[in-house]
Amino acid sequence: MLRALTNIWHITRRELRGFGKRPILLVIMVVAPLGFLWMFTSLMQAGLPTKLPAALVDEDNTHVTRQLTRILATMEETDFVLRTPSFTEARQAMQRGEVYAIFRIPKGTTEAALTQRQPVISFYTNDTYYVAASLLMKDMRKLSEMAGLAITRATMRARGATDDQIMGTLQPIVVEAHPLGNPHLNYSVVLSNLIVPGLLMLVIMLTTSYALGMEWKRGRQLKLYTMAGRKTLVAVVGKLLPQTVLYTIIFWLIDLVFYSYLQFPCHCGVSRMMLWGFMAVLASQGFGLLLYEAFPGQMRMAMSACSLLGVMQFSLAGFSFPVSAMDEPFQWLSNIFPLHHYFLIYVNQALNGYDVSYIWSSVVALVAFFVAPLVFMFRLKDAFLNKEYEP
Amino acid sequence: MTRPKFPILHVWMDELSELVKDEGILIFVILLPLAYPLLYAMIYNTETQRELPMCVVDESMSQRSREFVRRVDATQEVRIAAHATDMSQAQELMRRRDVSAILRIPAEFDSDIWNGRQTVVGLYSDLTSMLYYKVAYLGVINVAQETNRNIKVRERMTPASTAREDDVARWPIRFEEVKLYNPQGGFAAFLIPPVLMLILQQALCLGVGMSMGRARERFRGLVIPPTRHYKNTLAIVLGKGLVHFLIFMLMALYMSVCVTRWFSLPQLAHFATLVGFFVPYLLACTYMAIFWSSFIYRREDCILLFVFMSIPLLFLSGVSWPGASIPPLWKAVGAAFPSTWGANAYVRISGMGATLGDVHSELLALWVLAGVYFLLSCLTYMHEIRKSVGRSVLS
Repeated sequence: MLRALTNIWHITRRELRGFGKRPILLVIMVVAPLGFLWMFTSLMQAGLPTKLPAALVDEDNTHVTRQLTRILATMEETDFVLRTPSFTEARQAMQRGEVYAIFRIPKGTTEAALTQRQPVISFYTNDTYYVAASLLMKDMRKLSEMAGLAITRATMRARGATDDQIMGTLQPIVVEAHPLGNPHLNYSVVLSNLIVPGLLMLVIMLTTSYALGMEWKRGRQLKLYTMAGRKTLVAVVGKLLPQTVLYTIIFWLIDLVFYSYLQFPCHCGVSRMMLWGFMAVLASQGFGLLLYEAFPGQMRMAMSACSLLGVMQFSLAGFSFPVSAMDEPFQWLSNIFPLHHYFLIYVNQALNGYDVSYIWSSVVALVAFFVAPLVFMFRLKDAFLNKEYEP
Repeated sequence: MTRPKFPILHVWMDELSELVKDEGILIFVILLPLAYPLLYAMIYNTETQRELPMCVVDESMSQRSREFVRRVDATQEVRIAAHATDMSQAQELMRRRDVSAILRIPAEFDSDIWNGRQTVVGLYSDLTSMLYYKVAYLGVINVAQETNRNIKVRERMTPASTAREDDVARWPIRFEEVKLYNPQGGFAAFLIPPVLMLILQQALCLGVGMSMGRARERFRGLVIPPTRHYKNTLAIVLGKGLVHFLIFMLMALYMSVCVTRWFSLPQLAHFATLVGFFVPYLLACTYMAIFWSSFIYRREDCILLFVFMSIPLLFLSGVSWPGASIPPLWKAVGAAFPSTWGANAYVRISGMGATLGDVHSELLALWVLAGVYFLLSCLTYMHEIRKSVGRSVLS
């Protein structure tokens, strides 16, 4: 036992010396994850995008429509950068990508409304820009609804109804929405929280196969194996331990920035999230190791598989497009990615503050990613003894 | 020895034959651009969340509340998956992830409405995905607004004499919502076009990077073989670039024509417009890949360097995260990558039927990028040729 620990220590020291000789590895391991952290938190510091550019086409131009547009101008998400009487001009602006939406009040709207002829006002959103269009749609919809109600309200006021009565008539049922865990619908909370750890997990998977594969590439795998006292597990642990420590520190740094500095919602406490972060590091290392065992000694194949699968996990984790909306095979497939399970644990723990027992299956999955490579250790042993590097 | 007549042709043939012999490069140059678009299109093919499971806590238990719940159930957005007697029971279902939203109808629901007061219905939504919230909200708000209009007309206003008057009272002003260029408001039509552009850029970087890394391994740190064909900078840069450019032109057309048609994604562009856009885009991508790959000394290093790019770049492109809300620093960073301009131009060309004239500023930027990266590649190769000459003198 003591022998094994000494061997691990020796291999670890050898590995640390290796880091110094390969600046690219350090850049990818440290600079890239921290760079992504900086990038995503500053990119979305506003939380929800506000003041999105839209165009207003007021063909009617009466005091009523002007009042309407004044209300619209106060809305949070909308910024009318273009006011024009010509719809064509607005449409061209949209095609040039200068505005995401057009609000159009056609000629004769006021007159038709006052004479009860039901005018039609329209709004156009450019749904190829999904987030922007959804946000603008909400504002415009509210306004259109209000425009109609304003006319009824004027009639009722004239008949002497009280404000309560008016509201009870105009809007008998009010829907009060409570988005749980993220009451301000802060996009940064949802996206940064998963993309930054997700990118780190992708880095971990890749560098795991990279570090191992490098031994074969330089033809030093047998030397490593002898250093480990001919024990595969000792070789692997010694080799990956420095990365485990480094990545755990980076993951914790990310947690501290998110939950302590930026005050993202975290119902379970930072220390609990750090525990999940540590488990995610181990699970990702396990995933990388597993793929290396699938292609033993073939670093390039293992890394290609890592990158092809690793990029896909961002789509299949389900934080932009929910897994439940995907076709059945993809719902199943999403389970083979550590990021999906980390995501479910994050939602359960930090966002909602539920008990961990509700998410036990994902905790087990993270552990399984870490344990599974131990089962296939014999393949690595075979690779140590019999496999050469294949370009 | 005589100089070869067309050095470009030699370089071109060499690069192509190396490429088809190397399965590592083929994975990125052929398999990735062929398979990834299909995969992404299949993932997002369902377009949106339908029939989101919702739990109802009906404390009113009146005919009116039951009618309200029935209408919510009938929407395509929401499905009533469970009825709970109180909120704690409903929350338990939410914790177990059996339902993703809770609709709470207060005990006073019916009496409030009878008495002409406002009543408040609570909607609690899980934020596992932002889409859950959007879908649940849309489903309930649509029913609430429709119900409100009916109450106003049937119960609050003085009995109207004609159907027409009812209708006017319901809708003093009508409004229409037009979702331009993505009529279903779906995810695939929004996300796939920019993703296609990123796949092209990513695959090019990986493919070129891997072949450069291999050259360096083979020629002891040089990116060019020390033979006589490799003395003309322009010929090398053009010849190498042309191989990747042509392969990826085929891939780009496969994505924008075949994949788009198979999955019925919007494609309003003429073939000529597509080609006119892909030429500068792929040139810029190719030469960016060649320039950056000169920093790669081992073939596997390119995977480490390039794989992470696509996800941050998707955000910097301003298609998924609104471009208007991106801070200037990150806008500048994004501007150095062809995908930023390419994604914006392609989205407009394919989804909105823009002509080349409509996207001229993006095209100009792409040509500038192509030119800059081409010059940088030439400088790199001039340096490499000088190194290789020194090397051959030494040996």
